[in-house]
Amino acid sequence: MGGSAMKKKNLIKRTAAALLAATVLLLVPAEAVQAEELPYDTYNYNYRQEFVITPAAYVPNGSVTGLSVGTTDFKEPQDFCVAPDGLIYVADTGNNRIVVLNHEMNEVVREIATFDRNGTADTFNAPYGVCVSENMELYIADSNNRRIVVLTPEGEFIKIVDNPQSEILDDNFEFIPLKVTVDYADRIYAIVKNAFEGILVFESNGDFTGYFGTIEVSISLWEKFWRRLASKEERSKSQLYIPTEFTGIDVDDGGFIYASNIDPDGKQAVRRLNPQGKDVIQKGENGNVGGDILTGMYGDYSGPSQITDVVYRDKGIYSLLDRRRGRIFTYDKEGNLLYIFGGVGSQEGTFNVPVAIESIDGEIIVLDAYYGAIMRFSETRYGKLINEAVGLRFDGDETEAIEKWQEVLRLDANNELANTGIGKAYLTAGNNRLAMEYLELGMNRKYYSIAWKRYRNELLAKNMNIIMTVVVVLIILWVVYKKWRKKKRGKAVEKEGGLL
Amino acid sequence: MKQLFSKEKWKYAFYTVSHPADGYYEIRHRERGSVPIAILLVILFSISFSINRISASFIVNDVDPMTVNLLSELVSVLLLYLLFCVGNWSITCLMNGEGRLKDIAIALGYAMIPMIICMNIGTIFSHAVAADEGAFYVMIIGIGIAYGVFMMLIGVMEVHNYTLGKTLLTIFLTFVAIFIIIFVVLLVGDLINQVYSFFYSIYQELIFRS
Repeated sequence: MGGSAMKKKNLIKRTAAALLAATVLLLVPAEAVQAEELPYDTYNYNYRQEFVITPAAYVPNGSVTGLSVGTTDFKEPQDFCVAPDGLIYVADTGNNRIVVLNHEMNEVVREIATFDRNGTADTFNAPYGVCVSENMELYIADSNNRRIVVLTPEGEFIKIVDNPQSEILDDNFEFIPLKVTVDYADRIYAIVKNAFEGILVFESNGDFTGYFGTIEVSISLWEKFWRRLASKEERSKSQLYIPTEFTGIDVDDGGFIYASNIDPDGKQAVRRLNPQGKDVIQKGENGNVGGDILTGMYGDYSGPSQITDVVYRDKGIYSLLDRRRGRIFTYDKEGNLLYIFGGVGSQEGTFNVPVAIESIDGEIIVLDAYYGAIMRFSETRYGKLINEAVGLRFDGDETEAIEKWQEVLRLDANNELANTGIGKAYLTAGNNRLAMEYLELGMNRKYYSIAWKRYRNELLAKNMNIIMTVVVVLIILWVVYKKWRKKKRGKAVEKEGGLL
Repeated sequence: MKQLFSKEKWKYAFYTVSHPADGYYEIRHRERGSVPIAILLVILFSISFSINRISASFIVNDVDPMTVNLLSELVSVLLLYLLFCVGNWSITCLMNGEGRLKDIAIALGYAMIPMIICMNIGTIFSHAVAADEGAFYVMIIGIGIAYGVFMMLIGVMEVHNYTLGKTLLTIFLTFVAIFIIIFVVLLVGDLINQVYSFFYSIYQELIFRS
């Protein structure tokens, strides 16, 4: 009997163990397993500018090479572009052609290597940049031919923009366009090699109108002081203070130009230029839109990020591509870092020489010149939730964003953006106590202070009776005590007087 | 001991706060101060300083509570106190100062009282202010520190019977002395370390060869 009872117990134990194992297996989310296999970390910086690992926001989703789409391999491609109709135009610089891929990036729609220019066949020479305008015109920065070629998407010739004439240009100015973009009014913005004064702007008819978005050089007082002391010869030998060149360019829905540049200080690597060419970018709490905040001091991997391209995605979100460490930084409209991922290496999903970044249907795609491949990254649940929540806040729909942020917190409990987002929503809803709690977790001093001020008023209004009663009672007690003491002293004096 | 911690001595410490010049004079000439109370006040100051940084409101406080270590801060404050007392004493001995080491220790310790009071009031008050009222908090802490520094100055001046100019000069020289003390201590420490490692290597040789 004892034996059978034992057996029964064993059976129960075993079943329980099996059940437990099954639940554990079910509970382990698929993403967590994937995250360990990723060739890079996804991270962010917290309020104290410390490095915080977060769940993966984007995971590698294969790569596209020339062979995989049924043509010869790309040779040092430098730029690509997603057209409004969803096709992808790759500037295959080394092979002097433009390759058009279908939306799924699995086959070639057409290749453009030659075009018919008023009866004569013309070719490209190192086409460096490519862009398709809203009106479906293909703009190609044909760098070594020193011109911008405008074609129809099918490759029919429309016009050529070259040889800009203006007195503000140097006599020996060479027009070598590297990157090009077009806004809704068909104005052409071109980044030109060695044009440190800014981006060149052309009217839709090809007339050069001027420079745009000049980066100002900052000379520190210390440098000025040394230049004062230096002799003329020394000064001529010392390095020139020239602004950095722009590296990548994109245009948003409102016609604002996003232009990236390499900032040696690592503070601001992207500018949002309004039609006057003034920088109107918003910077977050730490005042930094320059990529990595913590950078090493020595070695190949050290130094500030070198941002080579920028893509405006949607709802104020934009991503920067770092060539030095192969990282992709994503910011929202207010300049808050949303997530950072990517790396340099030889595994799938890592880069060697990343040159251009684009976004297509919730995917981020990056062009690597060394591998001649397009790397695809698809968003995870975590990345999607953040994108959606930021998008809802961009639209002003904070109450709906709160649900998304709550889900983000379930995946990443220390996410300061999520805490701040929820806190702000509670603040608008009038729940000041909860707002304070979340805003403190989100380290948002400004809004925490607003919430506390409102909560303090609430407390005062609610407890006014008690506070006033206590104050009145205290005053009465004080007066009585004073009188009593006076009386006692008076008596003592009387006594003394009596004695005398 | 009981006498050193007596109620009268405590009362006198607060009298010194309200009448610094008189108070310090009597500490020097009528034995009204107490060194244990002074040391206790320095310890209290260190604790209030740490607590202020840990638990002042998030609105006015940008310090990461994780980086505040109460114990190590206490040790460094006490060490600084000791260094300043010894440094000041060694300088004033050469410059006709009348104060004894005991008087200097009391003068510095009693000067902590306004800082202790203001730090703690500030910590509590910080939980009542919003961001635009933060100036009041800064003012409270500022008054405490300013009055503390003022008391230290008066203390050194009265205890040694100096003029203001001479006091400032000796305080500057005190810092020089502190650096010399630190330098010598490090030097001696390094020397002892080398002598030790020399004998240790001889010992090792002997052990391995035998």
